[in-house]
Amino acid sequence: MGRQFDFNYVLDFLPKLLSYLHITLFIVASSIVLGIIMGFIVALPRLYNVPVLKRVSQVYVSFFRGTPILIQLFLIYYGLPELLKLVHVDASRTNVLVFVIVAYALHSGAFISEAIRAAVNAVDRGQIEAAYSVGMSGYQALTRIVLPQALAISIPILANLVIANLKDTSLAFTLGAMEMTGKSQTLGSATRHFLETYIALSLIYFVISTVLERMFFYMEARLLRHERQVVEKERSPRKLIGWRKREIARLEKGVDPH
Amino acid sequence: MIKLTNISKSFGKHEVLHRINLTVEKGGVVVILGPSGSGKTTLLRCINYLEKPNEGQIEIGDFSLDYKHANKKDIHNLRQRSAMVFQHYNLFKHKTVLENVMEGLIIVQKFSADAAKSKSIEMLEKVGLGAKLAAYPSQLSGGQQQRVGIARALALNPEVILFDEPTSALDPELVGEVLDVIRKIAKEGITMIVVTHEMGFARDVSNHVVFMDEGVIVEEGRPQDIFGAPKEERTKQFLKRITSEWAYSI
Amino acid sequence: MKIDPLFILTALLSLIKALPTTLIITVVSVSIGLILGSTVALIRIYRIPVLHRIAAAYVMFIRGTPMLMHLLLIYFGLPMLIDGISGTWGLPFHSNQIPLIGFVLISFSLTAGAYMSEVVRAGILAVNRGQIEAAYSVGMTTAQALRRIVLPQALSVCLPNLSNSLIGMLHASTLAFTVSVVDINAQAQIVAATNWKFLESYIAAALLFWGMTVLIERATSRLEKRINNYNRGGVA
Repeated sequence: MGRQFDFNYVLDFLPKLLSYLHITLFIVASSIVLGIIMGFIVALPRLYNVPVLKRVSQVYVSFFRGTPILIQLFLIYYGLPELLKLVHVDASRTNVLVFVIVAYALHSGAFISEAIRAAVNAVDRGQIEAAYSVGMSGYQALTRIVLPQALAISIPILANLVIANLKDTSLAFTLGAMEMTGKSQTLGSATRHFLETYIALSLIYFVISTVLERMFFYMEARLLRHERQVVEKERSPRKLIGWRKREIARLEKGVDPH
Repeated sequence: MIKLTNISKSFGKHEVLHRINLTVEKGGVVVILGPSGSGKTTLLRCINYLEKPNEGQIEIGDFSLDYKHANKKDIHNLRQRSAMVFQHYNLFKHKTVLENVMEGLIIVQKFSADAAKSKSIEMLEKVGLGAKLAAYPSQLSGGQQQRVGIARALALNPEVILFDEPTSALDPELVGEVLDVIRKIAKEGITMIVVTHEMGFARDVSNHVVFMDEGVIVEEGRPQDIFGAPKEERTKQFLKRITSEWAYSI
Repeated sequence: MKIDPLFILTALLSLIKALPTTLIITVVSVSIGLILGSTVALIRIYRIPVLHRIAAAYVMFIRGTPMLMHLLLIYFGLPMLIDGISGTWGLPFHSNQIPLIGFVLISFSLTAGAYMSEVVRAGILAVNRGQIEAAYSVGMTTAQALRRIVLPQALSVCLPNLSNSLIGMLHASTLAFTVSVVDINAQAQIVAATNWKFLESYIAAALLFWGMTVLIERATSRLEKRINNYNRGGVA
């Protein structure tokens, strides 16, 4: 299957794989940005209960959450050109990255719209009533009161989605996209040192997702510092969980002196 | 008989119990009074090993245990001799009223299902909830939940039942029904230790009152002595403060 | 637009052949993952010395890397390890005795274990401390309290997340094609390539997965209602 394990190959492969990191990150960044736009567009009809459109967005969300990303990649890759033919656009020479990004954007969009919906619904109803009571319009209440609070609530969910998206990009190679995993396949085949390639690749993914996680964590902390009233709302359940954790540990120590 | 000897307990640097000695006669009803933070609840929880004292011994009937050297078997043994009624009831949320009472009988005391059921029904009837067997805790009022908690403790037939402020989480109009139940079982000769702020109840029901403050027992004795003629200044202050709140109702 | 609706049906029938493989991968990895995950969760909650650090590192690694990596690392790494050990000790066992699906099951179980440990941990921590105290107070041991009181309540708390994990693993089973196991996705590729009808084959595969997902979601919400019936009163 492969040759004798040699750790030097891991070190050798790291820079080679890293030279494709920007493509991976480009896929993640552009599909998340598009996904957020998509998510908003899809969430609005359901938040405002718009007939027909609400159904459409329900079906969209159900489909993209209900099917594997791998299948979605193939569907977009083979389906999008057919659709574009209907409007007389020739997609046969389009860069494969476009299909990859569209697929990930549609996939993330479904999850992001659910996150937006959950976050908006999580904002206390009293907040909106208070906004109306000081004379704000519906739009003002949404943009000035609800969304800032919802954003803080949705950061942890968004963080998970971005990291999941990063990990999912490892499947883009199936369409022949040359990002890190695609490169690892060619490196592996060329040297017959598959295990070393994948160890190197795993290390890179691990470091990036850890860095992303930290980044979002600081972002959340920052956002919550500015939004005082959210601090309590958002922190208290966490504090509670932290408290329970300590309590359980304490209780256990108290009752089981080993 | 229950005998606590030299019980000390600290949370970090803060000492909540300092060399407590307490003896409770069989069938006795002991009420522990004291301001909040005096260590009375911690003391109660030590008897059920929900807290581990740093030092001290306990005797319950023919069983004795040194907290410093207790192993899992001892802890299990101790817990089987005591039962607790919690401030916040702590009924098993996913079990019905009947199942809540049966649980310990079947799992711990190895009763047959039939025997556990008939004993549980008997206990629930005693606390006046014979009609609520199939209800879930969330469907009951606080007072009803606490009466289930009492039935659960009673069914285990422990050497002592520990009451941790059993009425302080209840709405005022529900306090009476719970106190009535406790009063009723106190008359049956079951050993009880009760932490409470209900002074009238303490005076009526108990035959021994313990006043604690800052982790030590300040004064103890017969209820008529403690309430009628307290010796210690701290006890006087406490009773004055508490009784003035409801003085008009005497 | 060239699309042959009838072929979607033909493809669907052909994909059903691969359904058992997909289901076996999903069910086995989720079941082992749940056992592994509960063990890891308890190790971390009770901070069992040494083990809880290993458990934390395991969860962190799995969650920080794509599932495809887990599969490929096991697929290429495990044989080296096994044959190395067999060689040194002169054991007759050789890695080529492991069926391909074995690698899939091992790696997916490890993946599911890490994700589900987080689900179970959150569920256990959500159960009120008073519940375990009450269990102790009626004389239960820690094991009895966990089994009879804490875990059943934790289960109802984490049911939605467990269902998401199940759906996640169902979708992830499509990765099995990378090590030549013929699941629904691999079968779709075969059908697509032999008939030169790619879009139709993948539409069929998508419909199949969509249907199964909706089914799991429905079943979950029904189960949730049944398990949560003790919350009906609304008093917390």
